[in-house]
Amino acid sequence: MFPKGMPRNAGWWALLMPAFLLLTVFYVAPILQVLSISFTEPELGFGNYERILTNRSVQRTLMTTGRIAGITTVLALLLGYAVAYSVTMASERARRWWILCVLVPLWISVLVRAFAWVTLLRRQGLINDALMGAGVIQEPLELVWNEFGIIVGMVHYMVPYAVLPMLSTMREIDPRLMTAARGMGASRWVVFSRVFLPLSLPGVVAAAVLVFIFSLGFYVTPAILGGGKTLMVAEWISVQILDLIRWGFGTMMATVLVVTILVTLGGFSRVVNMRKLFGGGG
Amino acid sequence: MLQSFQQDCVALLRERLAKGQIDRRQLLAGLAALGVAPAAGAQAQGTRDLVMVNWGGLANQGFGQFYGDPFVAANPGYRVVQDSTGPSIGRIRSMVESRRVTWDMCDSSATGAVLLGGLGMAEKIDYSIVKRADAIGDTFTMEYGAAPYSFSSVLVYDSSKFPTAPTSWADFFDLRKFPGKRLLRRDATCVLEAASMALGKPMGSVYPIDTRAALGLIERTRRDTVYWNGGAESEQFIRTGEAVMGQIWHTRASVLQRESNGRFKFIWNQGILQPGIQVIPKGNPGGVAAQRLLASMMANADGQVGLLGLLGNGPTNPAAAGRVPPELKMFNPTDPENVRVQLPLDGNWWGANYQRVNQDFLDTVTG
Repeated sequence: MFPKGMPRNAGWWALLMPAFLLLTVFYVAPILQVLSISFTEPELGFGNYERILTNRSVQRTLMTTGRIAGITTVLALLLGYAVAYSVTMASERARRWWILCVLVPLWISVLVRAFAWVTLLRRQGLINDALMGAGVIQEPLELVWNEFGIIVGMVHYMVPYAVLPMLSTMREIDPRLMTAARGMGASRWVVFSRVFLPLSLPGVVAAAVLVFIFSLGFYVTPAILGGGKTLMVAEWISVQILDLIRWGFGTMMATVLVVTILVTLGGFSRVVNMRKLFGGGG
Repeated sequence: MLQSFQQDCVALLRERLAKGQIDRRQLLAGLAALGVAPAAGAQAQGTRDLVMVNWGGLANQGFGQFYGDPFVAANPGYRVVQDSTGPSIGRIRSMVESRRVTWDMCDSSATGAVLLGGLGMAEKIDYSIVKRADAIGDTFTMEYGAAPYSFSSVLVYDSSKFPTAPTSWADFFDLRKFPGKRLLRRDATCVLEAASMALGKPMGSVYPIDTRAALGLIERTRRDTVYWNGGAESEQFIRTGEAVMGQIWHTRASVLQRESNGRFKFIWNQGILQPGIQVIPKGNPGGVAAQRLLASMMANADGQVGLLGLLGNGPTNPAAAGRVPPELKMFNPTDPENVRVQLPLDGNWWGANYQRVNQDFLDTVTG
């Protein structure tokens, strides 16, 4: 991989330096500077962090965010697994269409998608109108302006992110293994549960990490579909910084979010191949 | 992010253009009045720029006809430049703290003026230049800001849903007498005033707000309430029947009433009358000229009436109300008839209490 006669790493590092410096000076340093406000305002020390233990608002925001991100991850994985499995098993031609269908939503703005869900889920929306027209329900169901609506919108957003890592893992599973298992008398279920599922697990874990981390930072979807009654961490931080100008409090939460993400990544990088997760080449 | 009133005015203008209710020229005039005119190119020789910052999302549109033009005409050598990037309190603070102030006048709020003033991040209004007599009341002339326009948070309702019309915030919070979803802004300002009045406080003694009692009422009714962040959103909630009664900005309520042929109605009674406070950031580049610009905006009654016709922002100059065309009087928050029944916002109380009370409010709403 490395040209002979060159110091093994030096050349590559030199090529990386400009990007590294650029990121450090213009990205990492300002972020650290901002996050450091959490230790200096309103007074020097860990006062802001103490509030994780004492402040009901902070705790509830963290719990709400964790809960919504967790539920979103589980649902997106279940749906995504089914999609990825179907795509893997489909013919080459069908597979292209499947992948296109998975990718198309990724190109639609998160804002547009949230409003589309409002149109579907609201009191006089498509779903309630249809159900009431068919006489199934008398009163409109409360499908939006609550956590249910948020989770619908977020799962919809996250499913493609769940499908892609799982798909890449599943496609590397040698189909002859399943054939062999069938040949030795295993039932379809046993082939799936004993052969396919375990082999696809690294993809599932990678997808879970990706979806969970993304979900922690959601802003637009909960803001639009939550009817103002659910605050997730990102929006909470924005309120603190822009409206309440309690920067120490806001940056404390931002630090918590960044640390949570880094710890999650760090923890799982021991289990799964992160380079595969973020599309790094072999 | 919670949308500000000014941001919503720009959105409202664009909607009216799309519906063909105004033409492009009026749009530009309106944007100019709101200060959403283009940031022009190279600075001409010898001219001095004053930068007004507002909430609009449009660039390269219009010119400051109602506020900017009159000032420029009276003060040769000046140019009023517009920036529509949104002067939230947080952004003003970050600009002043980094000592790179490029803004001269920010479309802020009463709360913003008190908070920024308290932090030493806003210039005091020089009332030897800005005339207190150019405003109809103390609400509009604060220590760290003054308001060339007003707006109100009013009760709007779907008249097809109720045999008898609601007339007060007590009716608003009475879910038995007036069943159906409610709509409130996700911000404590004005919501807690309404709750206090519903709990029986007479208009004269709403302040200081009994926040515990008011938040209690919010907590009891939050199940049946949805909360809006942006003005367009508030209009949609009512229009699509998601809520049957709401507290929204009078500009949006006026649109609903006009366009629904009276199905959606709003009342001025117990509306909360607020000032559109302009704040001058500490160390602004234009210096004292910004005070003169503000003085000119406050003194320009005709410009203020023009803005009312276009958008509904109420004039604050005492000479303006008499010049409002009769058909617009019912939509003017500062028409004497309407002022009489509204509660003027106590900006100083909110400035002193906003950070704490709004946090409590958010916790209650999201609890």
